[in-house]
Amino acid sequence: MIAPAVGVLFDGFAYGMLLFLLSVGLSVTLGMMNFVNLAHGSFAMVGAYVAVSLMGLGWPFFATLPCAFLVAGVISVGFERTLFRRVYRASDLQQVLLTIGLAFISVAAAAWFYGTMQQPVRLPVYLRTYATFMGINFSIYRLFLIAVALAVTGLLVGALDYTRFGAQVRAAVDNQRMAQGLGVDVDTVFAITFALGSGLAGLGGALAIEIVGLDPNFTFTYLIYVLIVVAVGGLGSIRGSLLAAILLGVSDAAGKYYVPTLGAFLIYLVMVSLLLWRPSGLFGRR
Amino acid sequence: MAETLLALDDVRAGYGESVVLDGISLELAEGGSLAVLGRNGVGKTTLLLTIMGFTRVVSGSMRWRGRDIGRVAPHRRARLGIGWVAQEREIFASLTVEENLTVAARAGRWDVPAVYRLFPRLAERRRNMGSHLSGGEQQMLAIARALTTNPALLLLDEPLEGLAPIIVEELAEAIGRMMAEEGTAVVLVEQHTDVALSLARDAVVIERGAIALRGSSRTMMADQSSLDRLIGLNLTAADDRGR
Ligand SMILES: Nc1ncnc2c1ncn2[C@@H]1O[C@H](COP(=O)(O)OP(=O)(O)OP(=O)(O)O)[C@@H](O)[C@H]1O
Ligand SMILES: [Mg+2]
Repeated sequence: MIAPAVGVLFDGFAYGMLLFLLSVGLSVTLGMMNFVNLAHGSFAMVGAYVAVSLMGLGWPFFATLPCAFLVAGVISVGFERTLFRRVYRASDLQQVLLTIGLAFISVAAAAWFYGTMQQPVRLPVYLRTYATFMGINFSIYRLFLIAVALAVTGLLVGALDYTRFGAQVRAAVDNQRMAQGLGVDVDTVFAITFALGSGLAGLGGALAIEIVGLDPNFTFTYLIYVLIVVAVGGLGSIRGSLLAAILLGVSDAAGKYYVPTLGAFLIYLVMVSLLLWRPSGLFGRR
Repeated sequence: MAETLLALDDVRAGYGESVVLDGISLELAEGGSLAVLGRNGVGKTTLLLTIMGFTRVVSGSMRWRGRDIGRVAPHRRARLGIGWVAQEREIFASLTVEENLTVAARAGRWDVPAVYRLFPRLAERRRNMGSHLSGGEQQMLAIARALTTNPALLLLDEPLEGLAPIIVEELAEAIGRMMAEEGTAVVLVEQHTDVALSLARDAVVIERGAIALRGSSRTMMADQSSLDRLIGLNLTAADDRGR
């Protein structure tokens, strides 16, 4: 009785951590820069395909992770500098149309280059093993995932709360004009923030393959989960995203285990009830 | 004669389609000081925003130490040495007092301890969030924050507005000390005509976006009838308003 419950909690928690990595960047850009980036899922997918391609060239799994982060971040900043910044002041609808268009293009491009089949991921053998504690098996890979996500959370919160760059991000979000008037290069601050958020999505994408697989539909499947996390957590709140991602991850795992007839649908029930309770999200400011 | 720090030549500027500043020309020397007076809505704030680069300039030119800055982005103007204290103070609410001071600080003699010495009250509140300050404390923080960027020119938009007389005196004294000791140039927009004229060496009175009167503060102080006509309040009335 206990063992399955712990197992479900553990799997759900690990899945939640994955959702957090995938979504925290969108929460930040949406909440802080007011930019609706529906192409966020594409940057996650970029990270995933980067990891798969490099492993195809014989790279070890761990070495592909920083590359997934970097490539997704760099590509996203390319788009930010050339396309996205033109629509920062445009209506939400225009932002949605531009970025959803890019998401469709990315799906088509992935299908063109990689085909529509599931991509293999070659993990080191020991990541495929289990640690047994009190008679319960814990997947080493999921433990690793949790460790990475917790480390990222700590770094992010620390960077935002305790560094000068973090203060500049918060200042620019509070009052863009005043920040500029004091000499803060708001454009660059936002571009870096954007790159970081997309890079984390890329890292999440690479880590997700083992858990959920990878094909071109990844973009849209995870865009939906990411939007749920952001909506439930509250725009712009890192802690909110973390909590929402864990809640959703756990309810998804529990739903699939205990109420298989509802299955993946439970996550939507949870979302609707949470949003009825707190319409602006758990940690939402508006 | 000191070098020219800032020069505006026939600047017309405003917001979108509407032109507020209608041909403003002025010059400020290194270490100089200029009081900008005028009724509500004549364009005083717009003048400062234009110097910072936040308005749409229709024509005219602006030079900083001889260099044309008409197309320079606001954050680069700030880095050139223009410090701005906005009329609404605009303290960053999600930053602590100390973070407000360090977020844009640039090296120079105004570091955090130096501004705390100028405004000891801020030192006591260093861990407060920017949103948890009284109006007077916000005003001090806005000035201190501009100082930590170590500007050569400080743009002050009604720094004494809405403050209790005792704090007005305290702040006016701090501003005076800053100008005298550091040689910081100042453009001071102020409703307290008497304070402004006693702090600044020169003065302009703006009316409907143009300069209606200019001269040294001393001569302007003596020209009571023009001040009455252009500002609509005599000195004692302006003084009462502040209390
Ligand atoms: N953002 C804006 N968009 C359009 N018009 C504006 C804007 N800000 C100010 N104005 C207009 O520009 C004119 C000058 O305003 P400004 O704020 O410069 O006046 P001011 O001299 O600073 O007044 P006060 O003493 O009340 O602060 C006013 O007619 C005002 O309505
Ligand atoms: Mg004003």
